[in-house]
Amino acid sequence: MLDIFVSIIVAGLTTGALYALATVGLSLVWGSMGMLNMAHAAMLTLGGYVAFTASTSLGLPIGLGFLAAIVAGAVAGGLLYVLIVSNLLRHDKSTFESNVMIATVGIGIALENAILLTYGGQPLKQPLSVSGALVIGPVTLPYQNILIVAVVLVLMAIVALLLGKTRMGRAIRATAQNRDAAQLLGVAVNRVYFQVLVLSGALAGVCGVMVSSMTQLSPPLGNDPMLKAFIMCVVAGLGNLPGAITAAFGLALLEAFVQFVAGARWGFPSLLFVVIAVLIWRPSGLFGRAQIRRM
Amino acid sequence: MTKLSTGKGISGSAKLDAVIALVLIAAAVTLPFMVESRYILGQIVLALFYATIASQWNLLFGFSGIFSLAQMAIFAFGGYATAMICFYFGLNVWAALVPGAIAAMVFSLVVGLACLRLTGVYVALLTLAIAQAMYLLIVTDTECFVMVGSICRQFTGGAVGFARFGDLGMRTLLKGQWLVGNYAIIATLFTVTMIFTYVVVKSPIGLAFRALKDDPAYAIARGVNRFQAQLLVFGISAFFTGLAGGFYAAHFQAIGPGVLSMSQLMFIIAITVVGGLGSFWGPLVGTIVLVLADELMREAGEFRTLGLGIIIALSIVLMPKGLVGRIGDLVRFLRRRSPRSAMGPQENAALTAK
Repeated sequence: MLDIFVSIIVAGLTTGALYALATVGLSLVWGSMGMLNMAHAAMLTLGGYVAFTASTSLGLPIGLGFLAAIVAGAVAGGLLYVLIVSNLLRHDKSTFESNVMIATVGIGIALENAILLTYGGQPLKQPLSVSGALVIGPVTLPYQNILIVAVVLVLMAIVALLLGKTRMGRAIRATAQNRDAAQLLGVAVNRVYFQVLVLSGALAGVCGVMVSSMTQLSPPLGNDPMLKAFIMCVVAGLGNLPGAITAAFGLALLEAFVQFVAGARWGFPSLLFVVIAVLIWRPSGLFGRAQIRRM
Repeated sequence: MTKLSTGKGISGSAKLDAVIALVLIAAAVTLPFMVESRYILGQIVLALFYATIASQWNLLFGFSGIFSLAQMAIFAFGGYATAMICFYFGLNVWAALVPGAIAAMVFSLVVGLACLRLTGVYVALLTLAIAQAMYLLIVTDTECFVMVGSICRQFTGGAVGFARFGDLGMRTLLKGQWLVGNYAIIATLFTVTMIFTYVVVKSPIGLAFRALKDDPAYAIARGVNRFQAQLLVFGISAFFTGLAGGFYAAHFQAIGPGVLSMSQLMFIIAITVVGGLGSFWGPLVGTIVLVLADELMREAGEFRTLGLGIIIALSIVLMPKGLVGRIGDLVRFLRRRSPRSAMGPQENAALTAK
């Protein structure tokens, strides 16, 4: 009984950590720019595959493979800004929200398909993973799961420090709170957008490596975590980072529990049910604040 | 003054719309006599389905500003409902089409109720999640519901879907020419859908949809009932989408979870965006352009999806109002340039107001 309970907790915490990482990347971009990045899934997948290439074809050590994934994600985020977002920002502001969503959908499809054409559709094994497990009495903790939770915690701490302590973080938070006021006070809003997309891309790269080390590499790899991350963002209220992390762990534990009790196929629908219930009860998310609009 | 000029603008465009519609109907009637190839006619029927779905998504998003990503789910719901009614109750397809469409409408109303308190991207996320959940539940359905011969059949048809539940009756009626018969039926469906959509868009309800899209707060302050309007648009668009789903299942004599795939949804979005969001003819123009582009890219084989993704992204960056918007810009530009346009300021105002 205890071992079953522990394995549910371990599975829930590990997927929760992964979801949290995906959610923070999405939520950061939404919170500061009002942009829903539908290409996030493809950026995740890109990170996983770049790490694969770096450590198999190029034979680089594991640390460098990890770094390559981060760099690839960051570059993808930067390109997304330069090619798409900066152009869309020049159009009518009122249509930015839906336009950028449709455009990133297109980019996401193109990127996923480019990966499919380059690597083929067959699943590949992510070499950046550790085997073995820590055994404490009746409890077995795979090293891979421990590693994932540890890496995610470190990354969360780094993001929190970046946002809380640095000049760049202050600019990002100021833009998130009030874009126009930030711009008036001399914040280069466009540079903030660029930085946020690069940061979110880098997080997506790491997340891709982590997700693929738990499963396998395949072109639609990022879709499932992204869909779940969307749900967690919605539950927490888009743009709310601590809320997003809480929701990620909470919902992942719930999912693991439902999957154990009712079978794997009910995991996702049960999450959906929770989301709908939450949204009817609190339309701007559990931790979101209702906005008062002036006309 | 403003009222007068916009009134003139609408009546002027109504005349133009009528001319376009007559030309299109004439073209649609002559088409089966011009096209010999079965393949091409088959692709045209498929394109008509795309145009019908896209026109209803345009009604939902382009005119009413509700970013629903459940459009293919509603289409599939209509198709599945029709197929299942035929399959389990042995009804004729024609008798099952309207109940199927009504089932899709009820489903859409439930989705609409769930989305009612949300705006913008929250609607998109929730509807996307609902569509995904539907796909997953169908694909992972393995429990036997009935036994057909020695084969186990799941309630939802599972990953295989439904087949051989009847067709539109054209095979027995027209024998070898059945495809022309199906073409006529689907073309009629599309025409009826477009006419109804036109009436809705130009009616006071259509104006309410647009007012809610442009500024929800002002619209509500001026007495537009958001609850009613939003449910209405979810219901209307779902009826025709579901009906198209039923005809789709009957035309191909099969329906499976494939219609719920992301790429199908993207194709519909691409059609609407390329054609022009919120313009009446946009989805049709988008369908013609993208189906042609798709056929050309078939030569490029595996690069098809890649090309499609790039087309979506580029067209939203380069022409946010779509091809129809660009054509409109061009026409306005030419009229302003040509010496004939020495018309009164009133008419110029009417043109710019459009």
